[in-house]
Amino acid sequence: MSKRAPNPALPPEIDAAPEFPKGHVDTPPSDEAMFLSRRGLLGAMAATFAVVGAEGCRRPLEKVVPYTRMPEEVIPGVPSHYATVIQRRGDALGLVVESHEGRPTKIEGNEAHSSSYGSADLIAQASILELYDPERSTSPRKAGAPASWEDFEKELGAKLATYDKDQGAKLRLLMPPTVSPTVIRMRAALAQRFPKARVHTWSAVADSNARVGAKAAFGEVLNTLYAFDKAKVIVSLDSDFLQTESGNVRANKLFAAGRRLRSSRDPMSRLYVVEPARTTTGNVADHRLRLPASEIAGYAFALAGELAKAGVQLHDIQDAAAKAATGVKVPPKWLSVLAKELVQNRQRGVIVVGSRQPPEVHALVHSIHVALGAVPGVVSYTAVADPDELDVATDMKALTDAITAGKVEALLILGGNPAYDAPADLAFPALLAKVPFSAHASLFVDETSQLCTWHVPRAHEYESWGDAQALDGAVGVQQPLIAPLYSGRSDIELLAWMAGSKETSAHESVRATVRGELFASKNLTDCVPFDQRGDAECRDTAGNVAHAHEFELDREWSRTLAMGVIRRPTVFKAPSLTLGGVSSAITGRKTVVRGPGTFEATFAPCAKMVDGRYANNTWLQELPDGVTKLVWDNAAILSPASAKELGVENRDFVKIAAGERSVTAAVWIVPGQADHTVSLTLGWGRKGAGRIGNGKGFDAYPLRTTDTLGFAAGVTVTKTGDEPYFFAQTQENNSTEGRPIAHEATLTEYKAKPDFAELETPPPRALPLWSQADYSKGHQWGMTIDLNACTGCNACVIACMSENNVPVVGKREVWRGREMHWIRIDRYYVERAEIGATAEEPAVIFEPLMCVHCEEAPCENVCPVNATTHGPEGLNEMAYNRCIGTRYCGNNCPYKVRKFNYLNWHNDAVWKETGGLPETLAMQQNPNVTVRFRGVMEKCTYCIQRIQSAKIKAKRESRDLKDGEIRTACQQTCPADAIVFGDLNDEKNPTAVMRWTKTDRRFGLLAEVGTRPRTMYLGKVRNPNPEMA
Amino acid sequence: MAYWEPIRELGEEPLVQPGSKLREVTDDIACVSENAAPRGWWICFLIASSFVGVFTLCVAYLFYRGVGVWGNTSPVYWAWDITNFVWWVGIGHAGTLISAILFIFRQRWRTGINRFAEAMTIFAVICALIFPGIHVGRVWVVYYMFPVPNQMSLWPNFKSPLIWDLFAVGTYFTVSLLFWYTGLIPDLATLRDRSLTKWRQRIYGFFALGWRGSNRHWRNYERAYLILAAISTPLVLSVHSVVSMDFATSVIPGWHTTIFPPYFVAGAIFSGFAMVETVLLIARSVFKLQRVVMMRHLELMNKFLLLTSLLVGYAYAMEFFMAWYSGNQYEMAHFLKNRPTGPYWWAWLWMVIPNCVVPQLYWFKRCRTSIPLMFVVSILINIGMWFERFVIIVSSLNRDFLPSSWGIFRPTIIDVGTFVGTLGVFFTLFLLFMRWLPMVSMTEVKGTMPQADPHRHSEDEGDHDPVKIADEEPSGAGDLVPEGAE
Repeated sequence: MSKRAPNPALPPEIDAAPEFPKGHVDTPPSDEAMFLSRRGLLGAMAATFAVVGAEGCRRPLEKVVPYTRMPEEVIPGVPSHYATVIQRRGDALGLVVESHEGRPTKIEGNEAHSSSYGSADLIAQASILELYDPERSTSPRKAGAPASWEDFEKELGAKLATYDKDQGAKLRLLMPPTVSPTVIRMRAALAQRFPKARVHTWSAVADSNARVGAKAAFGEVLNTLYAFDKAKVIVSLDSDFLQTESGNVRANKLFAAGRRLRSSRDPMSRLYVVEPARTTTGNVADHRLRLPASEIAGYAFALAGELAKAGVQLHDIQDAAAKAATGVKVPPKWLSVLAKELVQNRQRGVIVVGSRQPPEVHALVHSIHVALGAVPGVVSYTAVADPDELDVATDMKALTDAITAGKVEALLILGGNPAYDAPADLAFPALLAKVPFSAHASLFVDETSQLCTWHVPRAHEYESWGDAQALDGAVGVQQPLIAPLYSGRSDIELLAWMAGSKETSAHESVRATVRGELFASKNLTDCVPFDQRGDAECRDTAGNVAHAHEFELDREWSRTLAMGVIRRPTVFKAPSLTLGGVSSAITGRKTVVRGPGTFEATFAPCAKMVDGRYANNTWLQELPDGVTKLVWDNAAILSPASAKELGVENRDFVKIAAGERSVTAAVWIVPGQADHTVSLTLGWGRKGAGRIGNGKGFDAYPLRTTDTLGFAAGVTVTKTGDEPYFFAQTQENNSTEGRPIAHEATLTEYKAKPDFAELETPPPRALPLWSQADYSKGHQWGMTIDLNACTGCNACVIACMSENNVPVVGKREVWRGREMHWIRIDRYYVERAEIGATAEEPAVIFEPLMCVHCEEAPCENVCPVNATTHGPEGLNEMAYNRCIGTRYCGNNCPYKVRKFNYLNWHNDAVWKETGGLPETLAMQQNPNVTVRFRGVMEKCTYCIQRIQSAKIKAKRESRDLKDGEIRTACQQTCPADAIVFGDLNDEKNPTAVMRWTKTDRRFGLLAEVGTRPRTMYLGKVRNPNPEMA
Repeated sequence: MAYWEPIRELGEEPLVQPGSKLREVTDDIACVSENAAPRGWWICFLIASSFVGVFTLCVAYLFYRGVGVWGNTSPVYWAWDITNFVWWVGIGHAGTLISAILFIFRQRWRTGINRFAEAMTIFAVICALIFPGIHVGRVWVVYYMFPVPNQMSLWPNFKSPLIWDLFAVGTYFTVSLLFWYTGLIPDLATLRDRSLTKWRQRIYGFFALGWRGSNRHWRNYERAYLILAAISTPLVLSVHSVVSMDFATSVIPGWHTTIFPPYFVAGAIFSGFAMVETVLLIARSVFKLQRVVMMRHLELMNKFLLLTSLLVGYAYAMEFFMAWYSGNQYEMAHFLKNRPTGPYWWAWLWMVIPNCVVPQLYWFKRCRTSIPLMFVVSILINIGMWFERFVIIVSSLNRDFLPSSWGIFRPTIIDVGTFVGTLGVFFTLFLLFMRWLPMVSMTEVKGTMPQADPHRHSEDEGDHDPVKIADEEPSGAGDLVPEGAE
């Protein structure tokens, strides 16, 4: 092992401890040691304890010793939970990470954090697998050959030293947008050393339009917060706020709260969505209008005009909008009825604009909100973390222009993957090769790393100190949960080193940021560092000398680490609208006209891959798309009418061309797609992602230019006539076939007939075969799933995979029908005249389905070896050791929720070529759940391991279980709180699940088979506006 | 002249070619194992045993990687494996039916074919039993199915039809084997007595259990045979009834049907007869057994096929009717929509046309007595009955209650290899049987010949008593003293 600098993730006192020989902290840095040795792992684990323990002050400082003598408070088999935060686009997501003996295994939402409210989405859930990705970069590389950090530091250090003279005029940095106050502070420190150096910002998926729009409307960039729970009317203009936009978890949570029906007397909000392609948000809309993305701006202007007619004061914006709205063709009711409804609910109406809509639409909607009086009731504003971030495309163009002009000698790219996702017209990959010195810090040796002279491994968010500011301004601290598996370093460390900062570790930098936050919250300024006695002198608002003491910081710091977020009241901004800014943005807009006979191509961040960063994640690759249910691929989505016009069917290839640029992709037809649009999600067709991600799906970036980041009007789509593509789907049938399986009603129908769902369910026709067990004693577990809340966001599917060690089987096996997901989300298209849903534009109903734990389980009777039996607490249990794999239970399950290990999936599927499941991925697995071998049946257990550990805990504490103490993985992560789990037999303290099972909307899925399912469903209620009919 | 007249109570037609002598019958049958195997046998054996090789390779690969090498999927957890199992069990039915039930009803025309049919039963049940053994996910613990006492007090689940099935097929196999073997004893003794080499003599002698054809032996033999026939008779009905309960007791539309037990039994007899006929026609021409396997036998079998075809057709129709009559949405969707028009409509046609339509040809005597036609028809029925099981199993599973879980089963090359491989196993065993054991029961055939008639000589000589006949055949069926030599 090469000699190297102390690990920056570790504070010096730990590193210097005599009991802790240096070699132990070292993690294998080279390619030769691809996987951790046991010794290295134990060292890494112990180091993590030391760091977290010592710095978190939540447990006494302990000397790191070999694991033969157990560290105090670390009980093997009992997981610990740490609060942390991860950066999201324009937002931060507070998380709690479950850690087993120093191995983080599971992500959950942090209830103390305002962007997650205790939930997490599918990306956050899957990020744990990214940490353990066996194909992550293990060492720095120079021109593709392994090198060391020392080499890199020497080379870059020498270069930077020469830049001190010209203040870094030829030094450029390229980073994705950040919400980390420490990163922003370090960036500023770097600017101090090199005032002429420039930091460029680029991300393929950013909120630039919203930022520019806010700036036009208010003169400053602001975050917009929507109180979806309080709103009565929600209009989404091309915004998938429930899934792919910023702040989606929070939005999902609040949106579900605004539509929760405990009884037929409860109110619910109404959602209108205007969008070109089906999204999670569009799928739950009460009214959905399919409109090409390029026509949505026009619709917004027309709506503004309609609102003005209805008496909403828009001043001169009104005229600008009226001019801009000429020639808009939408159903007239979509203007008149919406305007009427918005005016009726003046302070309770929200319009959400999608990030791909041009800035003027954002600006216009800000002014509408102000005019309607929605601010500050349901719409409020907060300061952004990084006010300098504006339009990333402009920024990126500035960089490429500078490279073309030969002004860039050294380019450091921290994160991101611009060689893959930069706008096609900038030809960034070619320019990157021209830069004399380029370095890319990245988790993977990806497309960009391959073109740079240097690649250095970047530390994962779960491996390094950091912080992130949420949409509402709350700052959370990112704690390392494990010492870097490979020799990665974080952006903070790299920036601090380059800036020559005195803060020698990221930990120290983050602590300094928290110190600043603490002083700011006490209105103290100009603070000097703490002296020997821990005292610091500051000035208060009046300019007088005031003192702060280090113990306050220590207290706040440990509290912050424990809670994951700095305690600070939310500061709302009350910006004033600059009317002229809005109207000039509208009049100065670029008009997009789609010529006749041409198509519009829309690009959206993939709900799974985002911009492509998660392409090497097997869980996400195998996650079925919410609408198409395709796995391991994206597709060119066309409407049935457009497909007919082009003469293509599912799987046929089309060439999508905009001028000289073109993309060839296979077609999938989705009813509800706007005609003459073709939608592609970003992040697919990668070439430098790794063994898993390479060559999956179709890359949309070659079509995407600086002007057409969101959509490109006027593209031509032609059938290529190639052999049809091979797609794999998890659900091949779209309709309920008229079966009474997914019940729904309109709000009016619900009020008239509150128990509609149960009335539509036929009564059980089969009597129990055997004498019934006594379910009246002890705990009796049960669950409810609210179809009204479920948005089909898929977070539960990944949470379940993560919790229960569910294997990935690969595309071909999914095509065979052998996917292993314990929970699946059934998606049915609904045609119903009452809600305006037709075959061309069907509505959608989602029905999450996992084992329903039948009291009269058909699977149990038929098992010849008693491998699946009923527990005394009503659980349908699987004894994997006993199972011989006759699969009879699977046949006899009317829900088909049993999954069979046809092969040894962990080793004999996607990781077959590497000789089995990589060791790092095994580290992710939950030690409390058996990893199933080939030949056994498996299924949802209601997270029995969680039930058991909670019961043990309660028993040790000599108390009863509390309601909500046991939360299944799917329930825990569900942003919509659609899933409720608990004891059905707690007479003393009626539990939430008991209340829900007694609500009027309940029904037992396929109860007529006589299965007596423990999971009850709550029927979906739609809230269409009768005037729209 | 009248000694070739048929025995009156057996019907008007002779069951053995008129004029045949006891000696000729013995020679015809026994010489197969005594002479060198004909070229046809070798060709068949090489082909069949090479398929045993295919089978071995497929099963080895299956054990090495897991059940995933087949095309089984979710929701079609059972596919070709159980289709093949039920098909083979069905084929195994004719043997016992012909042996036991026809024996009890004194249908003596069975004698020409019963040995064959019994052997076929044994080998078909062996092929059938292979599938439950190899189709499980963890073959190395397949013994969990058996009630083996263990320290964990774990017991099989006696509620499970699979356990019933295991016992039913196991019992059937055991009884069939005993029945077959008991019937073989006199013939084995004949072979022993005709043996020219020491080893032949020892081996046949060992299995002949010291048979010397004494009156006591004959008495015990006849009694034992009758008792075994009586035990087997209910088994004919029970085995496939129990097999059908694997499906009938489930909740899946298309399986959850009370008509299944009789329907399966009828289908099993149908397919068993068809398979007997296929094999018999080949053996008859290869080994030139026209003397004992006469057109009359074949025609009777064809009449039987027509009857069972009508039974099966009735069951098909009744399934459809009940689905409609029940008003159950899922049943109706399955029978009225999925079966004829779903993704496996072609399999449904393969089931209906060979099983219900083609056998109607047998209303015509010319068709019943045409050997090429009956060979083609018997093969078609075999295929049709395979598809019947395929339709019941795969097309019921592929679309059950929730449309979201519907899925298509696509077989793999290993599926095909395993199935074709069991055909190889079956024919290999069968060819070995034909080569080394008397494939027609010499004892029983002789019992249907005019010479066996106690009153045979009364008409022309008047003094020939039954004891004399026994004397003629000192070692039972063994025909050491040529008839004409007296």
